[in-house]
Amino acid sequence: MTTTDIRPSGQPDEPEAPTNRPPSMHRVKMWLRRPYARGILVLTVVIGFLLLPLCWLLLAAMNQTGAPASPIMRDIEQTVFVFTLISIPITAFVFAVLVYSLLGWKHISGDEVPADQSPAIRSNTIGVVMWTAVSSLLAFFLVVWGLVELAQITANSYGTIPADEQPGDSQALIVNVTGQQWVWTFEYPQYDGITSETLYLAKDRPVYFNVTSKDVIHNFWAVELGVKIDANPGAITQTGVTPDKLGNFNVRCAELCGMHHAYMETGIQVLEKKDFNSWAREMGGGKTA
Amino acid sequence: MSTATATANVFGSEVPQPAQHGQPGGIMRRLNFVTGLIGGLALATIAGVVTNILTPSGASTATFAPAAPDYVYLAVLLGWVIGFMAGMGAFVGPIRWLLGRDITHADAEYLAGKDLGWKRYWKFTTDHKVVGVQYLIMVMIILGFGGLLAMLIRTELGVTWAEVFSPSFYNSIIGTHGIAMIIGMIIVVMGPIANFIVPIMIGARDMAFPRLNALSLWLLVAATPCLISSLFQGGVQDGWSVYQPLASQGPPGMLGYQMTIIVFAFSTGVASVNLMVTTLTMRAKGMTWSRTPILVYGVFAAALMGLYAFPFYQYSQILAMSDRIFNTSFFDPLEGGSVWLYENLFWLLGHPEVYVIIIPSAAVLMEILPVFYRKPLFSFNFAVAGIVGVVALSGLVWAHHMYMTGWAPAVNYPFMLSTEMISIPVGFLVLVAIGTMWRGVVWTRLPVMAIYAVIFNKMIGGVTGIYLSDVPVDQYMHGSMFVVAHFHYMLMGAGLFGAMGGVAFYFSKMTGRMLDERAGSIGLWTAFVGFQITFGSMFVAGLQGQPRRVLQFDSLFNISNWISTIGAYIIGIGMLIFLGAIISSWMYGEKATSNPFGSKSLEWQTPTPVPLENFAVLPVVTEKPYDYGVPDPYQKELAAVDGDFDTQKVGSQS
Repeated sequence: MTTTDIRPSGQPDEPEAPTNRPPSMHRVKMWLRRPYARGILVLTVVIGFLLLPLCWLLLAAMNQTGAPASPIMRDIEQTVFVFTLISIPITAFVFAVLVYSLLGWKHISGDEVPADQSPAIRSNTIGVVMWTAVSSLLAFFLVVWGLVELAQITANSYGTIPADEQPGDSQALIVNVTGQQWVWTFEYPQYDGITSETLYLAKDRPVYFNVTSKDVIHNFWAVELGVKIDANPGAITQTGVTPDKLGNFNVRCAELCGMHHAYMETGIQVLEKKDFNSWAREMGGGKTA
Repeated sequence: MSTATATANVFGSEVPQPAQHGQPGGIMRRLNFVTGLIGGLALATIAGVVTNILTPSGASTATFAPAAPDYVYLAVLLGWVIGFMAGMGAFVGPIRWLLGRDITHADAEYLAGKDLGWKRYWKFTTDHKVVGVQYLIMVMIILGFGGLLAMLIRTELGVTWAEVFSPSFYNSIIGTHGIAMIIGMIIVVMGPIANFIVPIMIGARDMAFPRLNALSLWLLVAATPCLISSLFQGGVQDGWSVYQPLASQGPPGMLGYQMTIIVFAFSTGVASVNLMVTTLTMRAKGMTWSRTPILVYGVFAAALMGLYAFPFYQYSQILAMSDRIFNTSFFDPLEGGSVWLYENLFWLLGHPEVYVIIIPSAAVLMEILPVFYRKPLFSFNFAVAGIVGVVALSGLVWAHHMYMTGWAPAVNYPFMLSTEMISIPVGFLVLVAIGTMWRGVVWTRLPVMAIYAVIFNKMIGGVTGIYLSDVPVDQYMHGSMFVVAHFHYMLMGAGLFGAMGGVAFYFSKMTGRMLDERAGSIGLWTAFVGFQITFGSMFVAGLQGQPRRVLQFDSLFNISNWISTIGAYIIGIGMLIFLGAIISSWMYGEKATSNPFGSKSLEWQTPTPVPLENFAVLPVVTEKPYDYGVPDPYQKELAAVDGDFDTQKVGSQS
């Protein structure tokens, strides 16, 4: 006989032939016996491990100027880490298919149209279902993670943390942030309205920002604190943070605001509480606080 | 006039004709691009001079700038657009109707450019193939202009020790680069390929509304000088998103931007309706939805999204123009307007537009893959589901651009949900692509190699998009260089490289000559390498905390910006090589055969060059598309190993 296996087509009155369908684990083993399946899996693992350092490299890039300097920034970095980690397997798999397609499966060059020799696979239920399930699960995880984190940093920013979790003895600091072309002004209403062009904050003391603008839209970005909010003319936007690291950090404008947008940046000084109070007294505030 | 019932022979049947007035084409015989230019420049001059005389001296705008430059520039722009369109003959059709002169078959043939030779490319020609080629040239001009500006931007950012340009000029090249590239990318597939290829692909003789087709092209041609001229009127100094109220502070150049958008939105609207009607009603007999090629789905989806998205944009610019010219205050918060209103209107366009760019370019690639892998498209239904899913969600994600605006912090939650959900249908498209590659023997020609670049870039753009879709992370990354790198990976890395593959694929059909694939590949891969260098290091600059749209920055960002600039020049060289390959092949390339890639799709069954009206006899479609490949060898192998269990089932598992 030749290789073609022609079974007699079933007559209508014949009982249905017993299916000799192998169990699913056997089918997986069969699949894994194919050279390309192993090749792609190995490549996926290799590429995945090659990409793995990105989890830390991204954070290293973010941390070059002293971040994280607040719980919010730590949350952000944690999210970046986790998202990188869970993106790696699927990215590595796709890259592995790309590499294997070029190096593992055959290729033909030349100007002549080659004869058809690829298998006519129109679909594959298992593959499609697995892809959908995995990508939906990942998306679901991202959404849940994002919603929880967002609720958490919103709580951290707007001060809805339960009282027993409020740090320390102090009452929250309020800073009115005003953007105008092309300077930032920080006003401390609790300290007789003293103003400063550098943002002075006290370590571990929550601070609430009331942000507005005198002219066009600016964006108040306290880089290492992970705080960002638009400064809109005619409206006050609010956010907040608890700096927990001493040092010099940066405020930059992150919304194009005209000619000297690039130069609209200033510094943040996070001081110990007593240093902050003496700074405020030096500036002429704090007599009534 | 004559009562004799004249008839014309249209594809073998005698069709009664209305009376013929004069020679076929009538006044359209005298109108062409030159008369368009004359009309535009003449009316622009007249309008400018008259407005200058009529403007009272000392008139000022809401921001206390002299109003005369605004009024005069706007009048010049309006005069240019109307005069140019009139000079091209865009209004001749309606006027003929008003005069009761119906169009005859001979007229229609003249309008479609019959026997006009190269001159038909310079006229208001209705033939979809002519419009497609005209679009291709416009795309190259617009993308070339935007690319030139990109080189200027990177030069400024690479020269970290000095200001090469004045800050206001730098800001205006940023904005003009942005909008030029957006316009160029919107039309890069929807212009040349959708107009030229799609009607043939569905077995039609032309678009449903041939004159609207010409209108959409020439409106684009009219809009382009508005944008370029704005550079000489102070420029678009507010980024391509031109947020208010900074935009109303801007120089008269803002009006050039607004006029460009208003005219371009008309152009897109007209083109979208035309494409949708064509694909819905003019498919060949037997071309059911399951037999319709995926490119048609992609083009239809993009047209649909453009149709609902562009009016928001146009409307926002009309309101902004009114704020500027009539001192209204829709967007001026100090007089009761709202900046958030503008942002919402803008991003209601801004995000669907991303998919208007990505979907057709992905669809072209899905059209290319089966031809070069000689394999059916993997899971056609999933490809359709992916496109439908993207369209469905595209209008529900716009406010993720506004997470940090303070507009409504509470809506960040649902918008984060919808944004992350859109990764599922986009993932379907990736699955279709790698599923088609799966176990395929690839014929390594230039068009298909673009898919490797595109999937690589799309994965990077997609993963970085996940960070940005997450509100907490966006709180760090919004408005930084990270965002710039991310959307360049999507729009340029996935969109433009895909479109380059598409143009390379259809080049022989459109121009009648073979593309020099050697030079084209060198250009493509040089640009690809430069692209990774440029935007890879731009990610780093963003993570380090560099805001976007700045011309000077901390020395901390120097190294990544230097690397980025070097990469940008490499992209520039690569793109020039690719462009050179296209131009030289177009002029001197060897004559193309009708179907050099052995495609089974309808458009490749026509002769090259494609005759006027495409098909002498309209085709009938009897099969699903992408009927390539051989029976799966693993079916037999498995059957041999495991005995005679159901071979069909095992085959479908592979």
